[in-house]
Amino acid sequence: MFAASAMVNPNSGLMPWALIWGIPYLGAAILAILFFVGVRNEKIYSWGAVTSIGLGALVAVYALYKVLKEGPIYGASNTNWVPWLNIKIGVYLDGLGAIMAVIVSVLSFLIAVYSVEYMRGDWGVQRYFFFFTFFVASMLLLVTADNLVLMFIGWEGTGLASYALIGHWYTDEEEYWVGVPGRKALGVPMYFEPSHSGVRALMFTRIGDIGLLIGMSAIYLLTHTFSIPLLAANTHWIVELATKGSLTALLIVFSMGALAKSAQFPFQEWLVTAMTGPTPVSALIHAATMVKAGVYFMLRMAPIFLLGAAAGHVVAAQLQSYFYIMAGLGAITAFMMATMALVSNELKLILAYSTASQLGYMFLGVAAAGYIVSKANEAAALGVAAGLSHLMSHAIFKAALFLIAGWLIHVAHSRFIDHMGNYAKYMKLTALSMWLAGLSLMAIPPLSGFFSKELTLKSAEEAGLVWDWALGALTAGLTAAYTLRMILRVMHLPPKKETHGHPHEAPPLMLIPYLLLSLTALALGLAWVWVYPGLAKGISETLAVQVPLDEVKQAFTIAVTSAKTLGTLAWVGVSLAIVWYLYVPAKIDFDRILERSTIARAVHDFLFDRWYINSLIYIFIVGGFAGLSLILAGFNNILDIAYHMALPALFVLAAAGIRSLHRGKTDYYLMLYLYFAALVLLYLYIAWG
Amino acid sequence: MYAGIPIWYISLVLPVLVGIVALFASEKHGRAISWLSALTLIIPMIATAYYWAVNAVSNGVVDPWVLHLEKYGLGTFYLFMDGLSAPIVVGVSLVTAFVAVYAYKYMATRIEEMREEGENPPGLGRFFFLYNVFAVAMLGMGLSSNLLEFYFFLEISLISSFLLIAYYGYGDRKKIALLYFIWAHIAGALFIAGSLVYGHYAHSLDVVRIVSGKVTYVSPADELLGSAARIVAGVMLLGLFIKMAVLGVHMWLPYAHAEAPTPVSALLSPNLIGLAGYAIVRFVLPLFPAELKSIHGYLILLAVSTIIYGGLVALRQTDFKRFLAYSSVSQMGYLLLGIATLTAYGIGGAILHYLTHAIGKAVLFMVAGVFITEEHGLRDMTRMGGLAKYYPFTAAAALLGFMHLVGMPPTLGMWSELLITIGVVKAYPAVNTGNVILVATMLLLAYGVSAGYAFITMRKVFYGRPREGYKHEVLDGFKTTVVILAVLGVLLFLGIAPLMAPLKTASQQIISLLG
Repeated sequence: MFAASAMVNPNSGLMPWALIWGIPYLGAAILAILFFVGVRNEKIYSWGAVTSIGLGALVAVYALYKVLKEGPIYGASNTNWVPWLNIKIGVYLDGLGAIMAVIVSVLSFLIAVYSVEYMRGDWGVQRYFFFFTFFVASMLLLVTADNLVLMFIGWEGTGLASYALIGHWYTDEEEYWVGVPGRKALGVPMYFEPSHSGVRALMFTRIGDIGLLIGMSAIYLLTHTFSIPLLAANTHWIVELATKGSLTALLIVFSMGALAKSAQFPFQEWLVTAMTGPTPVSALIHAATMVKAGVYFMLRMAPIFLLGAAAGHVVAAQLQSYFYIMAGLGAITAFMMATMALVSNELKLILAYSTASQLGYMFLGVAAAGYIVSKANEAAALGVAAGLSHLMSHAIFKAALFLIAGWLIHVAHSRFIDHMGNYAKYMKLTALSMWLAGLSLMAIPPLSGFFSKELTLKSAEEAGLVWDWALGALTAGLTAAYTLRMILRVMHLPPKKETHGHPHEAPPLMLIPYLLLSLTALALGLAWVWVYPGLAKGISETLAVQVPLDEVKQAFTIAVTSAKTLGTLAWVGVSLAIVWYLYVPAKIDFDRILERSTIARAVHDFLFDRWYINSLIYIFIVGGFAGLSLILAGFNNILDIAYHMALPALFVLAAAGIRSLHRGKTDYYLMLYLYFAALVLLYLYIAWG
Repeated sequence: MYAGIPIWYISLVLPVLVGIVALFASEKHGRAISWLSALTLIIPMIATAYYWAVNAVSNGVVDPWVLHLEKYGLGTFYLFMDGLSAPIVVGVSLVTAFVAVYAYKYMATRIEEMREEGENPPGLGRFFFLYNVFAVAMLGMGLSSNLLEFYFFLEISLISSFLLIAYYGYGDRKKIALLYFIWAHIAGALFIAGSLVYGHYAHSLDVVRIVSGKVTYVSPADELLGSAARIVAGVMLLGLFIKMAVLGVHMWLPYAHAEAPTPVSALLSPNLIGLAGYAIVRFVLPLFPAELKSIHGYLILLAVSTIIYGGLVALRQTDFKRFLAYSSVSQMGYLLLGIATLTAYGIGGAILHYLTHAIGKAVLFMVAGVFITEEHGLRDMTRMGGLAKYYPFTAAAALLGFMHLVGMPPTLGMWSELLITIGVVKAYPAVNTGNVILVATMLLLAYGVSAGYAFITMRKVFYGRPREGYKHEVLDGFKTTVVILAVLGVLLFLGIAPLMAPLKTASQQIISLLG
């Protein structure tokens, strides 16, 4: 059963744990000041960033140790930061928050080290490391904040950094674009400059954030607090909304921020074009951390929502509809993005599609668990465990894949996989890393991706969401297929097109981070039996939700030993075999098939142009606003003419009319005089007569 | 409480004295005059900080010099500051002081350019005289307690800004100055006409009265005016709407704000027009609470329409300053939106948004001015692009400026947006699915359009491939003021507490009048 914990009162005083994000923020501020006073030495910026992030990571690791040993940490400042709204600066570190903080800070540290080499000599390197550090600080604030407003500030901070880093090469040279230059779908260009992608990312996520803001405001008005532990401790607000019948709608609005941040349908488009950013940014922000913020939000909030379900049937029914929709969106995203990855010809795009798809799994896992509100405690346990497990394993292997992609694109002088090939010959360690991370993505046992993905599918199955489960299972095969295609194409098959690349092994500063990450993916999988209970223990006491540890562990055992699991595994095997057959022994020439068959081309274009969703958004939404803007500007001109030309003209006309009566002609005046005199006489005659 | 010294009179008089000195000073002392102006204009800001430190802002800080005009039936003229006016005072003081420093280089270049064109504009001395008069007139509006007192400062601000546009403006400046004067004067006339009707029956034009050192409001005008109350309220609101440039009566603003010399635009656009919004809260709401309540749904609609309309029309502009002018129309929608919710949160948010917009929009106008000064009058956005590479600090300041308007942390805009959002949700509580959808639709459209025009323009001006050869930025005092003002918006985001607690008290006090 759920039990409300006593953790509603923070320890007074700003706890030293705020250093987790405080140090990187301070680092970013110092870098900004140095830039202002004229320091331009690249090393100061790169190593300054690495140092401040590393120190933050040390505090985070220590915090996790303390949390696992002594239970959650909850500290807040003595006085209000924002008096009216009772906002304190506070840190809430339970298993979930601490694990997230460690994942974020350690990955950021490794990727910062990689960036030192990757960004060397870049013309905007100072700006890069400033926003990089600012990003890490914001992300850490997001996952450790004790209240919604602080979380929102971190949330927006990550968005700002993401915008700035996607558009890092804002002078828009063609080598930094995404998409095939010149390609159009339904008349809408399908290639994107960095500065365009930046605006897209900002707009898509900002739209979601407005929903988050509205949800926060509504909850605040009901509870007069933004504090997450307080919201969990007293869930009367959920009951109140449910009795009024607005719970489902409000929760969906509240979760829009999460959907947008994690690129779930219908917000997925921004993540694809975010690939114009430098590759380490794609690895960190658009694979390992920021896009996980939405999943974190769900992991953080879903248990609180479920607490309210205890109040009765009305709440439960509305929660079910909410979770049903969220699970559906997750499943659709997972499937849709995987199909796009099958045909993509850009290395980073394949990885981006894959990221959105895997995020869909995580949403599915968490939301499906919430859907079983009647078995709330077990479900929450499984769902949270599934979501967090997959979040962690994905963060590791996807970061590795992106970092590898960064190196491959560098040596190939091209972002297209057709210009790459046979790289396994030149870089053994990179190939090893790619295989390890790739197998994890394919969810092959015993790599970590296998366990975590099975948990999420299990969650959907338990919930009885047959369609969502089926889509998830289908996606498992697709995932394996596109991953194998990517690795074969890049590492083992000869290049399809002429290339000017000079493949050779990466320098240590770049190689070590991704090698470490892919080895971790392997080690995590091998040690899963021991890692998982630790993870489970960490999250079993999230907020007021306290789930018996046994249930969490039990859920896991069930998950990996069921017949369905073996079934999915077989389907993955079949997919792999097909891809291998098509590419290796059969050597199918897909280009010729596309040339000959209209149907094949239609299917290919549908997938390649991302189900035409981008085009539809541009035609209807962007085009709609542009059209409205045109109409309003036209109306505005009419208004301008009416006020500033027609109205004065009217006065000029009236003045001319009145003036014409005063022309100074005596006979004219005399005639008027006689005329009016006659009128007056007539009037007098009638009045007296 | 009454202040120990006549602090507000000092704040109003000293800049004017500097201005008078400037009239007689020689041209070569221009820089000293601009710094001296800035030093006297920052006094109210320092005073506010001091009164916050001694915990006096919440109760109101009243100038000990009081003008008693009761025997003429005009009431009492106090100069006072409470939680509602503190953001106004800070906004006016900060922006006018920074722009004063900024104005030196800009106006020196502008005057020289006009002389090269064979015109004979008045020198820097007259500029700073008019500038300082304009600045203190706006400060006076924020400190007024009485309708006539407010109107007096309103007209001074109008005359001084009219002359500034007529002397130093761009384009067809004499005509535009006249256009501005007529519109603004109609606005002022409507406001004072309504006020005088009220004053005729009330035998006083007071709205705020200081009773034993505390701010209190006179009782609503319904009983005095009866059925005429609606008309009087309507006339006063219309006047203030024109001044604020709400959708429908906004047409004068793009001309005046785009063609004024840029330092004047930087005061006109955010500071002056926002004061009309402040006047709605301070004067119209206490006198006509029932009337406002009866139309507040329509006002919310008007506000949201203004935000969307201003934003979308702004998107079609190619002139940077004209774009900013339409953006101001849109931003006034936010002020009206907060006010129209008739909740303490919304009103507090609107007043705080005055300060947000003051900083953000002033920074953006100053950015536009940097290009006009440094790139030979460059203000056509079709000729811009990739400017961030040449002007990195100016670009950073512009980004912060836009973030203010959009309400993104870490800028002050975050707090005003949050308060306004809470206000809107309180006006349409989440008690049924319809309300949730209504609020979500309105705010998604409004906030979405704001973010859209802000970041699309940021891209147009600063990113992409450079359209032509530009100079490389040299960080002189001129541009440093822009950067520092933008950073102050971030510091105010962090240090919001001093403004927030008094704002709460004052907003709740004024909302309690609604009954």
